[in-house]
Amino acid sequence: MSSPNSSGSLDGHQSASELTVTSEIEICGTEARESSKSPEMSKRVAAKERILQYYSQLTEGCGNESCTNENCASSSSFRFKDIDRNKLAVEAITLSKAKAELCERRPSKVSRLPQDEGEQESGPSGSPGLAPSTSSSSSSTSLKSSPSSIAVSVPATGGTIGQGAKAKVPSPTSSCKLDITSNSSSKDKEPEYLTEERLNMVIDECEAKGSWSKLIHLIGLVFNNPESILLSFHVKKNLTSDCDTDIDLAQKASSDVPMDCTEPGSKDRQKLSSTGRTSSCVSGPVVDNECGSSTSVIRSTNVDHGDIVYPLDLASLRRAYNRLSEIPDQPFQGALIHALLTLAPTVERDIQYRALERDPNYILIFVIILEIPMLHWPEYLESAFPSICRAVERLPVPFQAKLARIWAGFGAERLKDMVQSLQQLITVKIINNEGNWSASFRPGDIPAIVGATKVLKILYYASMLGGKMDSIELVEEEKRLSEADSLHEHMQGAFGFEIKDSTLPKEDPLGQELGIQVINCQEPLVPWEDFVNEPLNDNLDIGDDYTNYRHEMESKFSLESKFSFVPYFFILTTASKHTSMYYDNRIRMLHERRAAFVQTLLHGGPPNPFLRVRVRRDHIVDDALVNLEMIAMEYPGDFRKQLFVEFEGEQGLDEGGVSKEFFQLIVEELFNPDIGMFTYNEQSHHCWFNSLSFENDAQFTLIGILLGLAIYNSCILDIHFPMVVYRKLMGKKGVFKDLHDVDPTLKKSLQEMLDYDSEDFQDVFEQTFRIGYKDVFGNNLTYDLKEGGDNINVTQENKTEFVNLYADYLLNKSIEQQFRAFKRGFLMVTSESPLRQLFRPEEIEMLVCGSKVFDFRALEKATTYDGGFTEGSQAIRLETV
Amino acid sequence: MAATRRLQKELGDLLSEDSALKKSFRDIIVDESNILLWRGLIVPHMPPYNKGAFKIEISFPAEYPFKPPKVIFKTKIYHPNIDEKGQVCLPIINPENWKPATKTDQVVNSLLALINDPEPEHPLRGDLAEEYTKDRKKFLRNAEEFTKKFSEKRPAD
Repeated sequence: MSSPNSSGSLDGHQSASELTVTSEIEICGTEARESSKSPEMSKRVAAKERILQYYSQLTEGCGNESCTNENCASSSSFRFKDIDRNKLAVEAITLSKAKAELCERRPSKVSRLPQDEGEQESGPSGSPGLAPSTSSSSSSTSLKSSPSSIAVSVPATGGTIGQGAKAKVPSPTSSCKLDITSNSSSKDKEPEYLTEERLNMVIDECEAKGSWSKLIHLIGLVFNNPESILLSFHVKKNLTSDCDTDIDLAQKASSDVPMDCTEPGSKDRQKLSSTGRTSSCVSGPVVDNECGSSTSVIRSTNVDHGDIVYPLDLASLRRAYNRLSEIPDQPFQGALIHALLTLAPTVERDIQYRALERDPNYILIFVIILEIPMLHWPEYLESAFPSICRAVERLPVPFQAKLARIWAGFGAERLKDMVQSLQQLITVKIINNEGNWSASFRPGDIPAIVGATKVLKILYYASMLGGKMDSIELVEEEKRLSEADSLHEHMQGAFGFEIKDSTLPKEDPLGQELGIQVINCQEPLVPWEDFVNEPLNDNLDIGDDYTNYRHEMESKFSLESKFSFVPYFFILTTASKHTSMYYDNRIRMLHERRAAFVQTLLHGGPPNPFLRVRVRRDHIVDDALVNLEMIAMEYPGDFRKQLFVEFEGEQGLDEGGVSKEFFQLIVEELFNPDIGMFTYNEQSHHCWFNSLSFENDAQFTLIGILLGLAIYNSCILDIHFPMVVYRKLMGKKGVFKDLHDVDPTLKKSLQEMLDYDSEDFQDVFEQTFRIGYKDVFGNNLTYDLKEGGDNINVTQENKTEFVNLYADYLLNKSIEQQFRAFKRGFLMVTSESPLRQLFRPEEIEMLVCGSKVFDFRALEKATTYDGGFTEGSQAIRLETV
Repeated sequence: MAATRRLQKELGDLLSEDSALKKSFRDIIVDESNILLWRGLIVPHMPPYNKGAFKIEISFPAEYPFKPPKVIFKTKIYHPNIDEKGQVCLPIINPENWKPATKTDQVVNSLLALINDPEPEHPLRGDLAEEYTKDRKKFLRNAEEFTKKFSEKRPAD
């Protein structure tokens, strides 16, 4: 495969600063509509340079402690303390627009040059530490033979690594050994590789000499060659039998434990990857584990393929990167950026030629590269990071899934960092292009943004995989239940229409591959909100984006389909998604309207492009019920028409206002506790289905329809359901955890009982599997959670079962009939909309009820006073107290 | 009745001869058909309420012990923490503080403690609380008069 060709030109002839500039120019060239001439270009470059200067001033400061510039991190009066880098990047751009004060930077990155270039030339051939790998194989792809060679080269240095992260002085023997091996192997064909100790050694040497040329060269060589990267940071094969450092990615329970955590003293299960590596396990001398040897093997459990152990020593990799990132002024930066830029296309090509299938470890390249802590630095954001993202984007879905599985084990902290880096990339790209958007140039047209978004998606799934998921049994049960439900509906003939629309969003292929769904995730490692990118949303034309999406859906094989963010909904705000759904709804409404028109032409009869509901004010529930029931029976498709409400005997065209009043009145009526359809919990202020309601199912169906119509017609309702209602609408089952906003006291008491650990449990509680409840008339009734529940005592052993059964009874069983009717109504309206795919239950609640957080300050600010009142009037002040 | 077993036991404990509350909470009447409603007589031993006795009602919810019981005074009482309707503000049976392991004798105990030692910081009757803090003598006089006038007769023993 390729020899390190490009870095040959680098060999110390070019300074780091020149490199940065060239890479920037390259970017200007790659960015789609860049047809500008050179003066314009140089202006752009200058502008970018300036932004970078501001950014580094904001992040690192000028280095002068007595600096008085409030925009400088070194200054004591720094304005932006504790602000994340993402925001700082935005700030940098604002500052450069405002031409704010820029401090004199003392150790300037740009001005510092590697001092002696002559010495650099000798690098590749003579110096120790720059040794090519000792691998005896000449075929670069036959990685299967390489582990043995590593095992040979490593034992001498194994001791160093055992001593901890920053072994500054490597043992002389190891350098000696490397020296020898380097001379004895063929120079040009063997790929270079890095290990922690080797890197440390080179850095120490460079520091001693005051010249970084060797490090620059090494990094340049390694990072532009996939094979070199794959050989780097391998786990030492001679570490065996006494130290458990494997981290099982599938054990999500302990996912909070970071990768590099070690458990000294426990058993080491150095499993080897399933593919022909077994022979290379060498049981060498045991390195002293007790002193905190920190190697960790990445292992990912795949349901289909069993355990996969990757031979990457993540802890050592991170230490090495840390060391690199701490080197002042980053003399190797140019080389690294350039190397990454060469690496990306090579990797893309390799992927095309099925390198992933040939070598199960190939995926590690992405792990190694995306671990680089400097990736989100402005210098990398320009071109290196995006090109890496693009390479990741090329990964076929099964391998994206693999990557997600690996990342899932990295723990919340690391994932958060990665997400933030990607968000920063997107934000910077967005801000850089602010003001340039046009019909032909959208955020989705910038490859860097698209790439980052796609990588984010892998992280999104990794975050769920690593987080708390519902148990498989629960998911299976829910699946069964929903199937039973739909069967039930079919028998009743409620679904008189079949889903004809092919534009329903499909399940995400990556999610399918991993076998997870967003709805089943209780708590992801990285909070959902962290995936939302506000600047992107601000600059996104949802209408356009949705058009692209439809376009893509309808012409699957068209090459010119544009990128749409809809399948990457995690990056969108609820508002954006709502707009997206609004367009979706409008398109459906138009569709229905057109169909109605055609029908009129063909069959005659009055055209009926709207969903007309005619009600009398004093019989609003009955009239609505009759109206909607007729539609539900005859042609449920009509629910997707635009709602048009008329009050009997009243003039008025429904442009939204009349329907709003209709919703308000009918909701008030239906939720009135006196009617007995719902009970009201004083403590949580939520309504719950009355399990003993006298009303028939139709009333509940009506409420379901109303809820759906409200979402469909973008109306906000004054309904207070606990969250579990929305979760149940999305096909989940109510569980104990959901009880908290249905009946807080009960939930708390049950929790107390679960937490009660004393011996006298039975004496204190005297509880059986029979529970009591009260109907609306105050009659006391009982229910057996289990057959013969009155005779089964709740004990320490079965109390969890009791609690789960209790919750199941309250949230599912007792209201099954009512809820089924309610859900049926809801689905009549929304079954075809992308609601379920786009939104989480919390967001559905927001769609129905609006935001529950009110900003009264904003209201106060926005108020204009009229009719003699001023802001200071007594009446006004009283209002705002 | 679901909570029957536990309530039967608690009731048995309270009615038994060695109940610590034998003197101060007595004449407990529970209807056969509804064990969720207890009636009883509170007999305080501290002035100014030791001149009489007070009828109370404890009603247990169907979900007992997972929801707290309620206590109502059936006899009028001159007390900052008990309002004219007989409602008591008792922290131990507040839904937010309720613990299912809490037993009724603990509830009655804390009720007695509240009667003997009013908490004017969390009053249900602001006027009485003010009087209690500002003019204790006047409060005691009024309370005693009130008790003599309205309360039940104390049992003989």
